[in-house]
Amino acid sequence: MLNKFLFLFFISFTLLAESYYDFQNDEDEKRFFNLIKEIRCPKCTSGSLASSNAPVSEDLKKIIAEMIEDNKSNEDIKSYISDRFGKETLYDTPIEPKTYALWYSPFIFLLVCLMIFFFRKKA
Amino acid sequence: MKLLLKIIIFIIPLIIFSFFYLYLSKDNSYPGADYKKFDLPAFELQSLYDENFISNNLLDGTYLVNVWASWCITCRVEHGFLTELSNNNINIVGLNYKDNRDDAIEWLVKYGNPYEVVIHDLKGSLALDMGVTGAPETFLITDQRVIAHYRGEINNMIWNDVFLPVIKERGLVIDAK
Repeated sequence: MLNKFLFLFFISFTLLAESYYDFQNDEDEKRFFNLIKEIRCPKCTSGSLASSNAPVSEDLKKIIAEMIEDNKSNEDIKSYISDRFGKETLYDTPIEPKTYALWYSPFIFLLVCLMIFFFRKKA
Repeated sequence: MKLLLKIIIFIIPLIIFSFFYLYLSKDNSYPGADYKKFDLPAFELQSLYDENFISNNLLDGTYLVNVWASWCITCRVEHGFLTELSNNNINIVGLNYKDNRDDAIEWLVKYGNPYEVVIHDLKGSLALDMGVTGAPETFLITDQRVIAHYRGEINNMIWNDVFLPVIKERGLVIDAK
């Protein structure tokens, strides 16, 4: 009898448990959890929205969930956030003239190193 | 080829040093300041003192928007300077951020109210739309457009170096009516 009671007692917590954000389907939910990993919390030095419980991150997560419900694309959601909190909120830096140096300098550096290497061999 | 190698050995440190020189000597003493211009988002929120709604259309001319809350300690620090600005007839709109109405009113009674209007943003929706990450933050707005923004406590130095140059450059009048 006591065992049954205990069982009921513990199971009731999980029965009450409900997800914090409501989504229509599993795909939306997956999209949500991927997005919050790809967006940096604007308040933290470096941490994703997923890792942060700062008030502004909670607000942003709520907005993302709402925008997913409205069938907004990932690009729309990302641009909504980066327009307001800056491009540094996106972990995946876009390739544009301002970031060419960031994206291509390693290859140029590699090329220079290779050139030095081959020149040396000939000498 | 040895000559080339020697040249390269000289050039690489030179590049590295010039890179550090360029980036470290850059005078960016106010990392909290930015001058990104954007339209004031449309909003309709209650005033802190009564049930009347304040919308973006009701606010015109040039004014400061100061994001504050009674739970925010730095807001208490900058409060003295805001009072000084207000005494010099500067138009400041308060944006009360995620705060209990009674706490906020009590705070203003206790320390004085430097604001012409106080907007009560309980859920932080307008603040989020303006890119606020926390309190305190201050925006300079003219003709429904944000033209300067500072994250953190404002004081005399920041007022003189971040906000006044923009106000002077545009010849704005920021006086309260």
